Amino acid sequence: MDAEAIEAADVMARYCRGEAAAFHRLYALLAPRILAYLKGLLGDQAAAEDTLQVTFLKVHEARATYVLGANPIPWMYTIAHRTCLDELRRRKRSRVRLTPDGTLHSEPAAHLTGVAADAHQDQTDRPDAAATAGALAALDRLPENQRQALLLTKVHGRSTAEAAMITGTTPGAIKQRAHRAYVTLRDMLGKAEPAKAEPS
Amino acid sequence: MTARDVEGGLLGPPGEFGQAPPPAADLLKAVGAMKPVRTRTRFGAFALVGLLGLVWPAVALDRLPLRRDLSALPAWWVVTAAALWGVAFGLSLAAALVPRRGDVLPAPGRASRLSGAAMAAVLLFVLVATAQAPGVSLRPEDLHWTLLRSCVHCASFVLEIAAVFLVVGLLALRRLVPMGGPRIGMALGAAGGAMGGLVLHFICPIADTSHVALAHVGGMGLAAAIGALLLSGAGRR
Repeated sequence: MDAEAIEAADVMARYCRGEAAAFHRLYALLAPRILAYLKGLLGDQAAAEDTLQVTFLKVHEARATYVLGANPIPWMYTIAHRTCLDELRRRKRSRVRLTPDGTLHSEPAAHLTGVAADAHQDQTDRPDAAATAGALAALDRLPENQRQALLLTKVHGRSTAEAAMITGTTPGAIKQRAHRAYVTLRDMLGKAEPAKAEPS
Repeated sequence: MTARDVEGGLLGPPGEFGQAPPPAADLLKAVGAMKPVRTRTRFGAFALVGLLGLVWPAVALDRLPLRRDLSALPAWWVVTAAALWGVAFGLSLAAALVPRRGDVLPAPGRASRLSGAAMAAVLLFVLVATAQAPGVSLRPEDLHWTLLRSCVHCASFVLEIAAVFLVVGLLALRRLVPMGGPRIGMALGAAGGAMGGLVLHFICPIADTSHVALAHVGGMGLAAAIGALLLSGAGRR
């Protein structure tokens, strides 16, 4: 296990022993990345924040199922993943979501890493802002399972074995989905490039 | 456009995940009221399900008569076949319930892969190396049964044995398998089916290859399929 996983395991052990401070440390350590993952899947800041709270509530209720010394990060991603699927299923059932005054929600945009889109007004520190915008737009059009595989392995740095456990599939399937996602993204972005070059 | 370009477009600066909102009030309330909990061990569920599931097979072996051709069969074959069924049982049950070292959850991919391999190995052994003692071993016709009837009889027995493993396993996994339930259920069912096959190896007098393949190994496959179906919705809590 890496240093981050060791720290998370230590904090989780203290949390299971009933230390409230350990919960806050765990939250500070993992909530940002889990929120980013949820945003990547849901594409919706407010829903991702709600799902994050439900995820941590589930982790709290399921803390007795934790195995002392184990890395809790993939486990928490797995619970977040399931909670997210429940949210997506709920969305499919409710076809249109309106605000209390009867208008449609305008969802705050967010970058995959969890940073709000408007936080990147100054994009000079990024290697290629156009590539980022294109990749993010193309990512939304990927099939759900390919998007999950790409997010987990390339954005969140999970191993293929961990990503397989989080999504409930095999490491081979994760590799294949991530590869297909790459190919699809390359095709989408490759087609977009000549169009961008044309004068408007 | 290369993979590196795509990745460059997707990734932000390393380690940058933005800010998360503070914990909600009901979450803080739950944390404020928490007490220390006793955590799980890696082998706890395996030991529990294994021990409870083994009660009925032990009773069946004690109460039911052993197959009449047992002493006439080659000892090496009896031991090898029993070991194979036993290994299939242990591997499948461990794959379903024991997380890898450093993990909290059992890996669904590993569970389906190992239990599938165990089923394939048992089937191959049965097809290639089923032994019969001429004049002592029975065929379905000797009992005035059709092959179908003999298969239904033995597969039902396998499913009865597997049912205990499935019920106890489901209870043990109730809050544990948020994802990949069908794969874990498949391994759990295969474990119960393998135990059923092991018991039948000692009590079923029908040594016909087609009967053993269809009823004993088929029963194991059926138990695996039922396990997969049962756990397909178990993670939706």
